[in-house]
This record gives sequence, C-alpha cells and structure tokens, in this order.
Amino acid sequence: MEFDEMKMIWDAQNNKPLYTIDEEGLYKHIVSKKKKARHITNVSELLLIVANLASGVLIAALNFFGEHATPIGYAIAVWMLGTALYVLVSRIRRINQQHQFDRSMMGDLRHAVSDATYQVRLSLLMRWNMLPIAVFTFVGLWNGAKSIWIAIGALIFFGIVYYASRWEHSIYKSRKRELEALQKMLQA
Amino acid sequence: MTEKEQKLIFNRWLEQHKALVFKVVRAYAVTAMDQDDLFQEVTIQVWNSVPAFRQESSVTTWLYRIALNTAIKWMGKERKHHKQEALESAQSVLHMSDHPIDGRLTWLYEEIHKLDEIDRSVTLLLLDGFSYKEMAAILGITESNVGVKINRIKKHLIARSEKINHYGI
Repeated sequence: MEFDEMKMIWDAQNNKPLYTIDEEGLYKHIVSKKKKARHITNVSELLLIVANLASGVLIAALNFFGEHATPIGYAIAVWMLGTALYVLVSRIRRINQQHQFDRSMMGDLRHAVSDATYQVRLSLLMRWNMLPIAVFTFVGLWNGAKSIWIAIGALIFFGIVYYASRWEHSIYKSRKRELEALQKMLQA
Repeated sequence: MTEKEQKLIFNRWLEQHKALVFKVVRAYAVTAMDQDDLFQEVTIQVWNSVPAFRQESSVTTWLYRIALNTAIKWMGKERKHHKQEALESAQSVLHMSDHPIDGRLTWLYEEIHKLDEIDRSVTLLLLDGFSYKEMAAILGITESNVGVKINRIKKHLIARSEKINHYGI
C-alpha cells in the first residue's frame, strides 16, 4: 500500500466519527475536575510554606511566652521560618519562569522537565532539611531531660518521615527521567 | 472571560474538531476505558486552554498541540493514577459510534500504535496533511528533523503494508 492510499483511508474517517460524546456528562466531569485542578507542585509548596511557618511561629511563641525558653527552641524556630522563606522565594521564581517556554511540544516538555527538576530538588532539600530539625529536637529532648519513650517516639517519627520523603523523591526522579527520555526521542 | 463564553468556545471547538481529538485518543489508547480516560484528560486541557488562545495559530494547530502533549504525558506513569480515578468516577463520556469501521483503518491505527510516542504524533500530523513547517512549529523541532522522521515513518508503514499484502491478510 502506498502512503497516498493510507492518507485516503485516513481522511475517510473525518466523515464518519469514531465515537459519540455524552456532552452533559463531559461538562459535569470538566466542572468537577476544574475544582481540584491545583497542580501537585502548588499543593506541596503551599503545604511546606504553611507547615514551616506555622511551626516556626508556634515554637518561637512558646519559647518567648513560656517559662522555659531555650536557645535550641529559638534555633528550631529560626530554621523553620528560614525554610518557609526559601520555599516561598523558590515558588515565586518558578512561577516567574513559567512563561519562558514556547507553545510547542518541545516547549511543553521543557516546561514539564523544568517542573520535574524543581520537584526533585525541592523533595531532596526537604529530606535533608529534616536532619537539622531532628538534631535540634533531640538536643531539646536531652536538655529537657524528657522520658526515653518520647525520644524513641520522635526517632520512629523521623524515621517514617525520612522513608516517606525518599519514596516521594524517587517518584519525582522517575517522572523526570521519563520526560527527559521523551525529549530525547523528540530530538532524535 | 466568563464561564459562559468559555463553554461556548469549548463547545464550538469540540463540535468542529472532535475528529482530531478522536484520532489522537485512538492512536494513543487501546481499550475503551483508556480511550475514555484520555479523551476526558484531553478535553479538560482544551477547556483550560480556551482563555489562553490568542489566535496566533489556527484552532486546529492549537488543539493538536494540546491533544498530543496530553496524550504523550498521559502515557507515562500518571496513567496509572488517572486510570484509578477513571475507575472511581466510572462515568463514561465516550461511546463507539455505530458506523462500520474500515478494516484498513483499523490496521493503520494498530501500526501507529506500535510506534513510539513521538513518532505517533508525527504520523498523525502527517496523515492530517500538516506541512513540515506546521509540524515543526507544533513539535518544537527543526523542519529537517521533521523530514528525517517522516521519511523513516513512511518507509516503515509502507514496508509493513507490503508484508501484510504478502501474507494476504
């Protein structure tokens, strides 16, 4: 079969649509999807900002107004507020870069790779960010002469968070690899 | 843009260019459930794109770009997630029409489906009569690169059709 014949077969389908659409159902679906259309990056960024900001302010307030103010408490608060600020600045920079990609498949892929790179970096950073927080927490527990069970509980908690964040990071990494493979395929 | 205006444009686009979306859906998804899932994903992206359309390109080019981008991303790992969502919502919006389907067209779709994600896009654009320049703009690659891909795809499809003729299928 020559290519022109294939094209004729192809063109014939324009007059006979392959499917019919349930327009009412489609519109309902679009409306419901639109409500939860926020991108995963947006959600994780906002969560990080709010969680770090709230925890930082709370710890600082507890230290300032409480009876047992400690340097460790202030150090944790400063670290968390700094983290919230860093994520906020990164978010603003990411949003400003969004319009730099052209409206082609390659442009879209570059944009997706850029987003994926950002997610990989952010998830890695947040994983390692847990380390100083854990250190501060354990030093605080030690200085406060808390029960060993509280220390064990905190250790288990940080262990779970570490493994969960490693899993999250691996998902982003694998997504980035897929997008880069598509990009290479397009250029080949 | 009000939602009413957005809906009006969306409905007009879908009415006039549904064949384009159907082709992309059929080229990238095999089962009825996947086709339905991808169709919903494409239409959501089209809906979201309505306010951003600035008439710098034709509607066909715009829709092809969105549909192809959505399809190649849909094929990745997110597909599993989408599939789960589709199962949960279980509301099918796409139904096979009653028209008898040309067996040669079925064969063509099967062959397209065997190509990688990018070559599928190029093949759809080629079969729909886009020029090298238009394809280069949609794909974001050079015209010479488009030419190389087209030559390879044409040769491959012709060779496959000869094989089928040879075995009398």
